[in-house]
Amino acid sequence: MSEGALPKQDPVLRVDDLQKSFGGLAATDHATFGVERGTITGLIGPNGAGKSTLFNLISGFYEPDGGTVEVNGTDVTGMEPYQVADHGLIRTFQTPRKLEGMTVREAMLVGPRKQPGESFLTLFASPGSVSESESANLAEAERILEEFEIDHLATQPATDISGGQMKLVELARAMLAEPEVLLLDEPVAGVNPTLAKKLKDQIRRLNEQGTTFLLIEHDMEFVMDLADPIVVLDQGHVLTEGTPEGVRNDDRVIDAYLGGGT
Amino acid sequence: MSLLDDPRATFADLTRPEGWVLGVSVAFALFLLVAMLTGALGPTYFLFLVGLAGMYALLSFGLNAQWGFTGLINFSVAAFFGIGAYGSALMTASSSPIAGGFNPLVGLVVALVVALVLALLIGIPTLRLRTDYLAIASLGLAEVVRLVVLNERWLTNGSAGVRGIPGFFQGWPVLSTFPEAMPGLRLVVIPGSPIILGTSFWQSLLNVLLVLAFAGVTFFVLRRAHQSPWGRVLRTIRSDEDLARALGKNTYSFKMQSFILGSLIMALAGVFYTHLNLYVGPGDLDPITTFYAWVAVILGGSGSNRGALFGGIVIVTIREGTRFLNDVALPIDPAPMRLLLIGVVIVAVMRYRPQGVLPPQRELIWPSAVDGRATPETPDSGVRERKGGGGDE
Repeated sequence: MSEGALPKQDPVLRVDDLQKSFGGLAATDHATFGVERGTITGLIGPNGAGKSTLFNLISGFYEPDGGTVEVNGTDVTGMEPYQVADHGLIRTFQTPRKLEGMTVREAMLVGPRKQPGESFLTLFASPGSVSESESANLAEAERILEEFEIDHLATQPATDISGGQMKLVELARAMLAEPEVLLLDEPVAGVNPTLAKKLKDQIRRLNEQGTTFLLIEHDMEFVMDLADPIVVLDQGHVLTEGTPEGVRNDDRVIDAYLGGGT
Repeated sequence: MSLLDDPRATFADLTRPEGWVLGVSVAFALFLLVAMLTGALGPTYFLFLVGLAGMYALLSFGLNAQWGFTGLINFSVAAFFGIGAYGSALMTASSSPIAGGFNPLVGLVVALVVALVLALLIGIPTLRLRTDYLAIASLGLAEVVRLVVLNERWLTNGSAGVRGIPGFFQGWPVLSTFPEAMPGLRLVVIPGSPIILGTSFWQSLLNVLLVLAFAGVTFFVLRRAHQSPWGRVLRTIRSDEDLARALGKNTYSFKMQSFILGSLIMALAGVFYTHLNLYVGPGDLDPITTFYAWVAVILGGSGSNRGALFGGIVIVTIREGTRFLNDVALPIDPAPMRLLLIGVVIVAVMRYRPQGVLPPQRELIWPSAVDGRATPETPDSGVRERKGGGGDE
């Protein structure tokens, strides 16, 4: 057990003794921590600390060498990403993923899970149910775009909007998948300050509405302002976990960032 | 906004590429009509060409369902086509070395089942991997199937091919005797060159109706699939498979469905070819068929069903149209001329319109869900075209 992790009352996500090596490099080295339901938990650490690897392990994109991942009390270790998503965990990516040839609202409509129209046979056996869910999803997508104040982009090509707007669309789309815990990989990287503030407000609002967040972010001001608690990762293991204040004043964290000895 | 309700609005809604393609198609149809009326083009041969165009359209539809929708690179179009052709030929032909003599409908079902099994065999190991692996495996598969057909004489008659194939409608009430029952007609449009419509004409007409039915049903199915959430997941996979996985889509299953659907359509083209040509040989499995299908899809615009149809027709026009060049003295033979022309067309398209002639023009949302909402202004060009081309890697 890593000493840094705090015990949790009602964890929506639990990572226990997770390990992953690439060749001789232990990218994730016995990492253990939990994400309390209803929080915005920050995940920080210097470059190469293994944050993205950890995200990939949790969301099923990488297979861990050891340890377990639990979402909502279910062991999802070694499951495919879509199965992990089925248990309520959705993730976004560091670089916005472009959907060529789609408008923004089309790209949004990929979000909802378990659409009846995703079954080929239903398209012909029961087109009525497809229409019904598609109308509902479209209305929901437009409602969320409005909440995000980007409804004017709805019929724009999804590849024609700015990087920051893409991040907003990604967040909005992830919300259509109705996650219980949403993993955001650097939500404001390369986003201008105005949009970053907008993203922050949106994340806070969605959190108040009940979504739990775990986010990687390099922008310290952003993450310190938004997240509590904060988990600090260094060289693949959890260095410490605490409030923004506590983390900021922790010598070990400062050492890790400045490349001092561990 | 259907054509019948309000024709003028429908035409006003056309994007520029749509207008062009429509115009060129109408002009081409008129040209063919004139050629037929003047006797330059035999009506029976014309119907054969229409059948061939339908067949290529089916092949393009099949490849479009794989590459255009999902981005699956399948280099064994000819193999699935051949499986369809041989499957139905071996079941129905009188000279079949195995069963033979069955009703063509049985042949159709058997051909589709064999194609399904083959698609599963190649899909199960490769579709979990990156698309490159399917490309490599399918390249090998095409040769394996061709060589098996060429060498396993007990099964396929080897290089002699399969003869004695009945028409598709043999054994059906009315339709099986329809060509003989119809009277021979003699039309005189231009004095001195009468047009004779005999048994073979009626036979060809039946074939054309058959391929129109095949292609029509396929087009309808693909169009609905393309606009559906199902198709949207496929398009997401094409752009970024990891994104689809992160959003909870079982991409392996979706890729498999797309691959099987496309393979079945290709086999359907093969079944039709069997009953059109009434002879099937190992030469029909040559990789050139795969090449033509790819040209058709890329030319028409990957991802567009109408584009695939258009591309298929262009291919047949080039393939068969060059035969008429025999009459004109040219420094090169028509056969290499054909490949040269196709090469020139591809280079021109890639240079000036890399997204294809008729890529998808509108956003694809289940139609009844958008009806009654404010629809966006029709753009001058399609959604896909504004990204500055070069998107189809």
